Amino acid sequence: MLYSKIEISIRKILCILMVVFVGVMGISGSSSGQTSQSPSDSPDVSSPGSLTGPISGYMDFHYNNRENEDGILDFHRFVLLFSHSFSDRIRFVSELELEHALVSNEAVGELELEQAYVDFLITRSFNVRAGMLLAPVGIINERHEPPVFHGVERPFVDTLIIPTTWFDTGVGVHGDLRHGLRYRAYVMSPLDSTGFSAHEGIREGRQKGAQSNVRSLAGTGRLEYVGHRGLVLGTSFWTGDTGFQDLRFDTSVRMVEFDGRYRHGEFEARGEYAHGFLDGMGELNTSRQRTVGVSPNVARQVRGFYLESSYFISPRPAPRELALFVRYENFDTQHRMPTGFQPLKEFDRDAWVFGFTYFPDPDIAVKLDYTVLRNQSDVVIAPDSLNVGLGWWF
Amino acid sequence: MAQAHARLIWVLMIMIALSATALVPVFNWAGAQERHIVEIVAERFTFTPSEIRVPVGTTLELRVRSDDTMHGFRIVGRNVNLTVPKRRQGEAVVLFEANEVGRFRFECSRLCGAGHNFMQGEIVVVEP
Repeated sequence: MLYSKIEISIRKILCILMVVFVGVMGISGSSSGQTSQSPSDSPDVSSPGSLTGPISGYMDFHYNNRENEDGILDFHRFVLLFSHSFSDRIRFVSELELEHALVSNEAVGELELEQAYVDFLITRSFNVRAGMLLAPVGIINERHEPPVFHGVERPFVDTLIIPTTWFDTGVGVHGDLRHGLRYRAYVMSPLDSTGFSAHEGIREGRQKGAQSNVRSLAGTGRLEYVGHRGLVLGTSFWTGDTGFQDLRFDTSVRMVEFDGRYRHGEFEARGEYAHGFLDGMGELNTSRQRTVGVSPNVARQVRGFYLESSYFISPRPAPRELALFVRYENFDTQHRMPTGFQPLKEFDRDAWVFGFTYFPDPDIAVKLDYTVLRNQSDVVIAPDSLNVGLGWWF
Repeated sequence: MAQAHARLIWVLMIMIALSATALVPVFNWAGAQERHIVEIVAERFTFTPSEIRVPVGTTLELRVRSDDTMHGFRIVGRNVNLTVPKRRQGEAVVLFEANEVGRFRFECSRLCGAGHNFMQGEIVVVEP
């Protein structure tokens, strides 16, 4: 059955792939060399490394074909990054994102200011950051440029358990503690529990800095080890009240997360585990049942994990780089329910995602994957999907 | 016999002279500084290693390569700022004369993503 689905879908994407490959092979080239400089030389001002005013960005163009549905071509992300250095110690960075190409009442598109902060770089171990911040939770939230992860779409765990891209207003500190240890600790606007759901957990609870209610504040942080070449180990947390819309009861979210990445030669492995504890969801479900007639059936715990390995089977310089990958994900937005509520089994899911990423340039990723999605329900079928993507960074 | 001794002495003298010539670059009595080579890997959003300790008087040769996109390598206050080529496309080489004790911050000088400002490190020059 799996093979027949692939066969049907592959015809639909062959033209796209051919256009993409012919295009990128035709225009890309590789170069290699060495640049050198000693302190007595003049600065490399002609390079793109100038300190003020560069515009960078990334884009994501997707074809998604879910089982038993028509295929979709979506310009998923158009992102521009602007930065400015007021001085060596005061920097500004911003990230403006247009999702799904069109913003209107009828379309699903969104225009989001995902980052806009000023960094006050005081010492190596203590720096202050304020503005629109990314929550430092998980692998993908702070490191989400298309060429740095495999698979057309971001991992399910980094979407439904950790609500990537998780951003909001806040202020905090960050620094390097030496011996390879780094930290971030922020105070940020909290989540809004009225957006929580059975299907997507806390995802729609993000206030996104749009006149965020700060009756209470959330705390978040990350500690990571980057002291060994090729190895990154991290742990992060989020804690905060979420019930400011309804003062009759208290709700809150606490999340812990662990992740690791390891690369040796052409092999890379990564894994992540995230577990969210949601308090007061029984009262929230009951209240919504009374007021709007439908219980959102929000769980009191959500959790997910994934393991991924990849290998560059063609590790020669671009345009000849090609990596294969496989990822297993297990995620459940109904992991533990409040007393009196039953879990919806279709939201206890796992997925195998496998495919390849071709790099005509290290900053351009042509991706293809097949996602086998399963759930624990006897009634609701989880659709598989075939995905093709073109993502780039500049 | 005396002639043979003289010939042997000449041969020995030539050998010693050649050996001395060959040893000149190794034992530079003029006191050239020791060159210390360090390989640095740049990747969103870290330099590894991010701390380099050397005794004062060392000449550091930093060989910086990227594991992903193009980065910048800038030593604050030292007039060094160059481009690190993309993955598998070469390396940047920086010479740093550690001629005074202190801490010298280096950083990525090309916007490389959401965590760009985290890409920092330090050269720590200490007393020998």
